[in-house]
Formats: sequence, C-alpha cells, structure tokens
Amino acid sequence: MSPASLDEALVAAAQAGSTDAFSRLVERHQQALRAFLRRACGDWAQADDLAQETFLAAWSRIDRLKAGASVRAWLCGIGYNKHLTALRSGSRERVREASYEADRDPTRCAAPEDRLALEAAMGELPAEQRACVALCLAADFSHTEAAEALNLPLGTVKSHVTRGRSRLLQALGGPDER
Amino acid sequence: MSDDHRLKALFAYDEPPQRDPAFSSAVMAEVMRRRFLADVAVLSGVSALGGTALWALWPSLQPALVAISQGLAPAIVAGALVVCAGMIISGRHAGELLGLET
Repeated sequence: MSPASLDEALVAAAQAGSTDAFSRLVERHQQALRAFLRRACGDWAQADDLAQETFLAAWSRIDRLKAGASVRAWLCGIGYNKHLTALRSGSRERVREASYEADRDPTRCAAPEDRLALEAAMGELPAEQRACVALCLAADFSHTEAAEALNLPLGTVKSHVTRGRSRLLQALGGPDER
Repeated sequence: MSDDHRLKALFAYDEPPQRDPAFSSAVMAEVMRRRFLADVAVLSGVSALGGTALWALWPSLQPALVAISQGLAPAIVAGALVVCAGMIISGRHAGELLGLET
C-alpha cells in the first residue's frame, strides 16, 4: 500500500471514530509537522506544544478532511494558523534561547556557525516567507502543496521561496541571486 | 554540494525523530481525555433528559405500571421458583443457569 493510500485508509477509519487509526496518523506525521513548526517559530518547546494542539484540532475536525487530500499539508496548515494566532496574541512569549539552546545537541552539527547563521537569517524572515521556506526548501513540499497548506496564492509562495532562499544563502556567505 | 543541498543539510538539524512514542502518547492521552469528557457530557445530558421525562410522565405512568406488575406477579414468582430449583438441582449459580456467564 502506498503512503498516500495508507493515509487515506487511516483517515477514513479515523472519520469513523477509530482512535487507533488516528494514533497511526499521529505517528506517521509528527515528524513533518514538528519539523515545520520548529522552523516556522524557532522555539522547539513551543513548536511541540503547537504540534500537540494541532493534532487535537485535527482530531476534532477530521470529518472535514476530504478524501484524497494531503494529510501532511492539512496538518501543516492547521499548525501554521495556530502559530500565527500565537504570534498575534503574544501569549506564548518565552525566552527563546533558553528552550532552543537546551534542546539542541551541538555535536550533531558539522558547522555550528552555519547553523547559527541560518537560524538568525530564518529569524529575520517575515512569518509567511519563513513558512514557505520551511515547507519548500526544508521539507520538500511542492509549491502547490505549500500554497494549499498555507492558504496562499501559488505565485506568492514561489516568490517567498525565491526571496527567502536568496536571503538564507546570502547569510551563509553563498551567492546572492537577487 | 549545491546550495539547495547545503540548505537542506543545515535544516536537517531541526528534524525531530521519525518515531517519538512519548510525543505520540501525550497526544493520544489528551485525545482520549477529551473524548471521555465528551462522552460524559453526552451521557449526563441524556440521563438528565430521561429523568426529567420520567418525572413529567410519572403521574400517568404509575397506574399502568401498578396494573402490569400486579398482572405479572404470579409469572415472576413462578419464574423465580424455577430458577431456584434449577440452581439447587444443578449446583450452578443463577448467572450460569441463565446463560449470562460461562
């Protein structure tokens, strides 16, 4: 069974009320959702909180997911909206460095200075552009899939990815393609 | 290494583990907790509705129930005697005798 058809079967079972099927969907998509939210908000602990809230919202709205729709894109869309709400409310203000630095393992990174430069450059991108970069450059989303997930026009996503990529490479000392 | 590969390699640092039982369990525990609360709310509502309906209908239900119970009393007594006799003769208790337990 292909991943897409397995997702479809699990979604159908979850829509019929199966918590086991939903649990398997959580296992299958937690990595993609958490990675996206970590890159979109930069705070690992907050990203995991948002991911948990996203899955809870997904469980209560699972009947709205159309057959054949991308589960990954749908979850990232819910997560992105939760991230924007948190940004607007400011209620999740945390000391970013404290949680982010506590979770990271410096030995895993071959070039820590590049990592820090990338992180700083990502932090300077506008939220929408950052989300587009996180989906298309880091998570292999197609532009169409990202546009669907973020509820943005396709042209806007392409433009955000191009500009974001250019700014990140510039920050890393690579070619500035603007 | 191309620029895109370089970016992807740096982004890979943020990747959570492919399997994270602690995270998945925390999510499912919260899902089950919410489902339980929703079930309790529904059952409480149905019970309250049933109780209210019974209270409202009791004056008209009571005479009918009394009449039925008086009519069925001999049959119920006879049934109870048969069950007791069966328990005494077979040495099994009522649940087993009525097929409710194995």
